[in-house]
Amino acid sequence: MTETTKLGLFTYDVKNGLGLIGYNVDEHEHAHIIVDTKKCGDCDSMMCVWGCPAQCYMFRDVGLEEMKFQYEDCVECGTCFLMCTDGALSWNHPRGGFGITYSQG
Amino acid sequence: MDEETDFDVIIIGAGFAGASTAFQLLKEGIEGDRILVVDRGEPIGSKNLTGGILWGRELDDFEEFLGNWEMDCPGIERAINHKKVGFLSSEDALFVEGRFASWDGTGDTDEPSQRSSWSVLRAKADAWMAEKMEEAGIFVMPGMKIDQLHIEGLDHESYTARDLTDPAEDSGEGAAQKWKIDNFPKELVDKIRNGVIRGIVQDGEVMTSKVVVIAEGSNSILTRTYHFDSMLNAQSKEDLLLGVKEVIHLGKERIDERFNCFPGDDERPPSGMAMELALSLYRDMAHKAWKEYPVTDGLYPRCGGFFYTNRETVSCGIIVQLSSLPSGIHTYDLYQAFKEQPAIAALIEGGEAIEYGAHLCPEYGLHRMPHRFTRDGALVVGDAAGLVFANGMQIQGMNNALHSGKLAGKAIAACISNGDVSAKALDDTYTKSLKASYIYRDLKRFEPATKFLNNPANFTWVPELVGKTANRVFREIGEEKVPAEKVLRQVRKEMRAESKANKKGMGLFSMLKLALTGRKL
Repeated sequence: MTETTKLGLFTYDVKNGLGLIGYNVDEHEHAHIIVDTKKCGDCDSMMCVWGCPAQCYMFRDVGLEEMKFQYEDCVECGTCFLMCTDGALSWNHPRGGFGITYSQG
Repeated sequence: MDEETDFDVIIIGAGFAGASTAFQLLKEGIEGDRILVVDRGEPIGSKNLTGGILWGRELDDFEEFLGNWEMDCPGIERAINHKKVGFLSSEDALFVEGRFASWDGTGDTDEPSQRSSWSVLRAKADAWMAEKMEEAGIFVMPGMKIDQLHIEGLDHESYTARDLTDPAEDSGEGAAQKWKIDNFPKELVDKIRNGVIRGIVQDGEVMTSKVVVIAEGSNSILTRTYHFDSMLNAQSKEDLLLGVKEVIHLGKERIDERFNCFPGDDERPPSGMAMELALSLYRDMAHKAWKEYPVTDGLYPRCGGFFYTNRETVSCGIIVQLSSLPSGIHTYDLYQAFKEQPAIAALIEGGEAIEYGAHLCPEYGLHRMPHRFTRDGALVVGDAAGLVFANGMQIQGMNNALHSGKLAGKAIAACISNGDVSAKALDDTYTKSLKASYIYRDLKRFEPATKFLNNPANFTWVPELVGKTANRVFREIGEEKVPAEKVLRQVRKEMRAESKANKKGMGLFSMLKLALTGRKL
């Protein structure tokens, strides 16, 4: 049980939600978001963690000592870029044809 | 501008703003094979998501290309004839409900023009619009992301797209944020930011055009990196909303029945319901979060809910102001609380979520427009330009996107025929007409509403006070009836006694201030 689950009164099963979306995941060398996790070390607010609707960022909220980022589940909304106060993010959209593919929208 | 360009106009983004610009250009006499529309989605529409309603009959103007769009476009779901505004607290719900037979064509007035709002699913709608663009002879290229523009007299290999978006090594935090490009020679940076735009760069190849239209939607990187909207950066989460939603399958018959919808016939689309909600669901979550993460102590999520019926599904979601999100609460958990509120849970009962998603929405208002809409050889339309209107009862972005696209199409055609596509010429046509249009007039008139909407009261005690009061006013417990006004005062007193936050927030002066700003809606 993660710390967030304990804290949240209502917990959305985000992994299940993400499982409903189609993706065409690009290779690691073309990851569209790059996080300089060295800059995340002493970040108190961890706003990327809370803002990201796809749980791409995991940190002390789940008991980790270091920021763990994965781009594969990204829904390309841009929230993390706006939320980061430490300039740790290089944010771009995935290459054409890659990334999320909504079928409803 | 005598030299031959590959295209007259290149449009980046095949959403409503981009498609509208393209169709309008055709109407103005620009040849389809002189227009290129590129989109990073493949198929087109696959990157798009809405938490809104399409307002107005803007698409009628493109009848020659779209035909009977209302009936034929797969993503145009239901004609809204049933509009609800509600106040939700964890147990109570009060709705104000309007049902308008004329809105779906089942009333005495069977005029299609009475129908003026539709629930929409954008992945489907955009794919259909792209087909129609191709049928009309426009070049449409899916799966193409553009992150560099071609600038006259500048070798695009002198910088990379990553230089525009990567933080500089010596970047400071917050307002001192710097990008790699900021450390390049000043002359080059100035060219990127103020040079004449003459096309796009794709995979190292240049495609030239007389005008480039940026129609990338919300979170537009090009408007940021090419300085139309230099404020869109890590410091600008103010005035940006994140929508988180699920599309939940219930089946057409169940939706028709549950929401009392007109099922539609050969001439009329099915009718549907649209609902916007003020939420006070997050008090307990916030208090726990503040305790755990004092860094955002006191920050309360300003969050609203929306609920729309589509043909086979419902769109159910929340929209939260990013600047109001405290540490300790995930955005998707805000959605879960909404979904579990009994009044909402009842509406989606038996349904199955078939898609989850999230999207940013600019809610800028006039105080926070891009600092320019045009550059030499380029302009920006739709959500990319922040042309979204919100007053709490409506969020309108899609009609504004369509309308701004039309104004852009007209302006560009005129400028091309005059042989002058400078920033000034485009400003004198496009920006001028934009500022004279209903988009700007609405934004101006409702600018004071932003103050009201951002008032934390609307997200904390107001929905609760309304719900609790209604609960008691409507209930019959075999005792003497008490006038509603007295109940309201009693509930207020109890709520103030209950919490310290309410003690301050619900004071008479605060309430008066809220009422005074609310009047401007």
